[in-house]
Amino acid sequence: MRVSLDWLAEFIDLPPADTLVERLTLSGFDDVEIHTSGPDLSALRVGRVIERAQHPNADRLSVCRVDIASGDPIEVVCGAPNVAADQKIAFAPVGTRLPDGTLLKRAKIRGVASSGMICSARELGLGDDHEGILVLDGDLEVGVPLSEVIAAGGRELEVTITPNRGDEASLIGLAREVRALFGGELRTPEAEPAEAGPAADETVRIEIEAPDDCHRYVARVVRGVRVEPSPEWVVAKLAASGVRAINNVVDVTNLVLLEFGQPLHAFDLAKLRGGVVKVRRAEMGEKLSTLDGETRELTAEDLVIADEQRPIALAGVIGGANTEVGDSTTDVLIESAHFHPTRIRLAARRHGLSTEASYRFERCVDRDGIERAANRAARLLAELAGGVVALGAVTAEGSPADATEEIRFPTPRANKLLGTSLTSEQMSELLERVGVQSRETSADELLCSIPSYRNDLHIHQDLTEEVARIYGYDRIPTTDPAGVLRGGRVPQGWRVADGARDALVAAGLVECQTLPFISPSWLDSLGLEADSPLRNGLRLANPIRDDEPLLRTTLLPSLLRLVHQNRSRQVDRVDVFELGRLFRQSTGGGTWGEGLPLERQGLAAVLTGREEPGLWEAPPAPLFFRAKGIAKKLLSQLSYVAWFPGDGVPPYLRPGAAAVIEVAGVAIGALGELHPDVARNFELDVGCAVIELDLAELLSLPQQEGRYREVSRQPSVRRDLAVVIDVEQAAEEVLEAVRKAAGRDLISAELFDRYAGQGVPEGRVSLAFRLVFQRSDRTLKDEEVTKSIDRVVRMLAHRFNGELR
Amino acid sequence: MPVGVDNLERLESDALREVAEATGLQALIEVRARYLGKKGSVAQVLRGIGTLSSEERARVGQEANATKQRIESVVAERRAGLERQARDRTLESERLDITLPGVEEPRLGSLHPITRVFRDMVDFFSSMGFAIEEGPEVETEYHNFEALNLPAEHPARDEHDTFYVEGGNVLRTHTSNVQIRTMTGRTPPFRFIAPGRVYRHDSSPRHSPMFHQIEGFLVDEDVTFADLKGVLHAFGRHLMGGEIDLRFRANDFPFTEPSAEMDYACLLCERQGCAVCSQTGWIEWGGCGMIHPRVLENCGIDSDRYQGFAFGMGVDRTAILRFGLPHIRLLFDGDLQVLGQI
Repeated sequence: MRVSLDWLAEFIDLPPADTLVERLTLSGFDDVEIHTSGPDLSALRVGRVIERAQHPNADRLSVCRVDIASGDPIEVVCGAPNVAADQKIAFAPVGTRLPDGTLLKRAKIRGVASSGMICSARELGLGDDHEGILVLDGDLEVGVPLSEVIAAGGRELEVTITPNRGDEASLIGLAREVRALFGGELRTPEAEPAEAGPAADETVRIEIEAPDDCHRYVARVVRGVRVEPSPEWVVAKLAASGVRAINNVVDVTNLVLLEFGQPLHAFDLAKLRGGVVKVRRAEMGEKLSTLDGETRELTAEDLVIADEQRPIALAGVIGGANTEVGDSTTDVLIESAHFHPTRIRLAARRHGLSTEASYRFERCVDRDGIERAANRAARLLAELAGGVVALGAVTAEGSPADATEEIRFPTPRANKLLGTSLTSEQMSELLERVGVQSRETSADELLCSIPSYRNDLHIHQDLTEEVARIYGYDRIPTTDPAGVLRGGRVPQGWRVADGARDALVAAGLVECQTLPFISPSWLDSLGLEADSPLRNGLRLANPIRDDEPLLRTTLLPSLLRLVHQNRSRQVDRVDVFELGRLFRQSTGGGTWGEGLPLERQGLAAVLTGREEPGLWEAPPAPLFFRAKGIAKKLLSQLSYVAWFPGDGVPPYLRPGAAAVIEVAGVAIGALGELHPDVARNFELDVGCAVIELDLAELLSLPQQEGRYREVSRQPSVRRDLAVVIDVEQAAEEVLEAVRKAAGRDLISAELFDRYAGQGVPEGRVSLAFRLVFQRSDRTLKDEEVTKSIDRVVRMLAHRFNGELR
Repeated sequence: MPVGVDNLERLESDALREVAEATGLQALIEVRARYLGKKGSVAQVLRGIGTLSSEERARVGQEANATKQRIESVVAERRAGLERQARDRTLESERLDITLPGVEEPRLGSLHPITRVFRDMVDFFSSMGFAIEEGPEVETEYHNFEALNLPAEHPARDEHDTFYVEGGNVLRTHTSNVQIRTMTGRTPPFRFIAPGRVYRHDSSPRHSPMFHQIEGFLVDEDVTFADLKGVLHAFGRHLMGGEIDLRFRANDFPFTEPSAEMDYACLLCERQGCAVCSQTGWIEWGGCGMIHPRVLENCGIDSDRYQGFAFGMGVDRTAILRFGLPHIRLLFDGDLQVLGQI
């Protein structure tokens, strides 16, 4: 809402601007600003023409020397016929941005250098006069900023009104708020018109056929108007509020809308058929051409104003072209009505049209102000358009509006809610300031009468807010809450997510967040099967980008795109991860209940590693093993024991370099190198490995925390063993067999080297194991260990065709 | 060689000189062998004392042993000195260029700024006894709007710029849905926070369609607006690391009554007005108020007996101010050149 401050001052005396802005801000308005309308003239200076000379190469141009009281006189070329020596003029130095946006530069005009400009009124944005330069008052001091000597427009107050306070969307509403904060006397414009001629109800009758949608309808008839442009003061007031002047009749309805917040509409009475105004629901498929040039198809949900034959307005939203007031109009019907807010809101939404009228009806108008607004408009029409106001208003009533007229206000409850100790008298006074009259019915209760324009006050807590607002939130004490102390529980899912983040950061990965919107084509790029569950995404009805309408079912595409972007920004190492919700349609109940989708916390990481090892760095391990190590460490930090079998890996991973992540026999994710086709689809120029984990699933699985085992003080015996086996043989299986064969004195066995090449036959590989034996009750004898090793060697030969190396 | 104490004296002084002149360990070993070895000078003296009288023999023998010991101790001293010199030379020659980078194995990654700010916030509220609750991001209109006193026809819904999911449901526009899910079917007292992700259909350059909020609510029999101010002041001090200036502005939210917006005084310009606070001196922090009785009733809670406060604030703004990011979109661009700095 934007209004001229001078206009507001006609309604109530205003405090200084700073105070006004601050108090309005604290009392419930958002984005309160007072600004000066009109062009910014602060860079221009008052100048004096010292001398005017004829331009050597152009008859119509002159060369002037101008004094602006800084430095040497400035030489400019001027095209205006009226420029003369000794004039005070508006001077724009080089570097000034003129109100029309042009930046003034040094120029050479017909061979003469010109460093600035002597401006016309139009160039200053002050009017249309461009016949010559603007000549200023001769007494002005040279060199002062032009903005200090020319009032280029008035000051405007701009506020954002919260949705509950439709009553503030008017000058009277703002003035009432100013009165609540600062006191003072409200001055309301005269509304009573002088009436003459035949009574209005002889010309027209009103029929409300949809009484629940229209609580009250008031019409006034003004005859013999002359439609013409409004006087300057009307145009200026409207312009300050961003309303374009059209003609005096329409302008009057807009002016009164701004004054009282009551939307009005003017119909050309001559075009009204059958002498009747009906308020009814539209018929399905009925059409109405509206004032914005659209033809709208109506439904039975739309409320229309109609005459005997056809709709003439979409009630509360916009008028119809068929009864539009134009130059030939002489008799006018002014509508002032009280429509049901929801009906208007739905219509405005359905037709995609928010107007000054619908905005106010949606927020509910002053039910007692309907007639006054009609009268005020009639009076102004008589005044500005020379009309004669017909005798009496024509009114009709629908069902009464839901209205809260009285509220019982338990004052101790207000104090209990706020933490204050205000007396009933104080509260009563504070309420009085917002127009709520009250009387004490008992020591603990005020009976409050709610003004007809305050449609937001229904329960005693609403009045508590009014008390607090006017009293000042800053004056309410600041205290610490009391109560029973209970531990602040952190859910397991939160802990696991945080643990996973810490593990990945420790492994060198950077946490990212991406938007959860994806394109179906990205799923194609992953090479998913047609029946993949990852294709069961949810679709947004109104996505930000039409080609990314799905909610993600996997984190991977967004992360791969992120890798691509970083690579194209020449980032060497892209090791990233993300945690986020994944969404899938659910056939049964959703994660969070009936009618909702599956929504699970997922984790994904992508590793590219560095291409070349840096200082002190060993050559990087193959990406698969980096990913596997990270996944294992992550899970073991979270107290889960993980296995990595090779069967059933997703199609976007490289066959033979991928594994499923399994905890307690349940697949909870996958890891591996990205399939080369997928890498190509995402335009990745480096090898990538990915890790995917279903964190939600993980939560349901058993954790295995470490437990104490007795520590042996007896000496241990270490034996290393290298065996050559077939290269296809899975090392993990061999290691397991070694563990079993070594017997119960074995306390650890690890694979510490793998070698193929010179000395090892083609198709074979050498695995080196380190076995450690120890007993807790005594020192092991050498023969005992040797016996165990022999057993292992025999087993290797027999089962794996292994030869000692 | 004539045997006598005089000889021993000369022998000793020669030995001491040679020890002092020995420039390396090897030379020292040779000097020692020459004087103290089995065939060394002292041994020869001792071997020759057989010819002396028993009285003389005892005197020279004693003196020879003393001489031997003195030379031995000087040799030991010299040896220690030479060894120290040798070690110092080695250390000097093996000096490192300590300006070379240390090994960060593996190089540390980094948490997302939002994660870091959330942790900070959760720390505070956990210590105050608030428990964490979560809720769905795809939510029913009932939980996101209606139960919060925001029916379909309410004009305040316009401000929510909602994403609609085909076939029903919305992307939650705030974390307040968690209030409904947490309170329904339970009995106060409640002391909860709900950190999470929310969505608004806003693609203007200074906004992001995805952002983060933290919701908090406390319901009991006597919780007041004054308590709300107290908790938020304490939270503000924790978050900004010192005294802060908060202000509460009246506002309208359908789910609270009374309602307030809160601002904190801009820490950069100290309320003088700067680009960060859009010249106002204040930075918007969030909304808060006393939970609307209808919301409590919607959750099956007796609003005559219980009352409480709720607040919700954006997290992203706090994060970008804390890390000096110029705008929110950098949080979700995934540019490692940006995130890697933090």
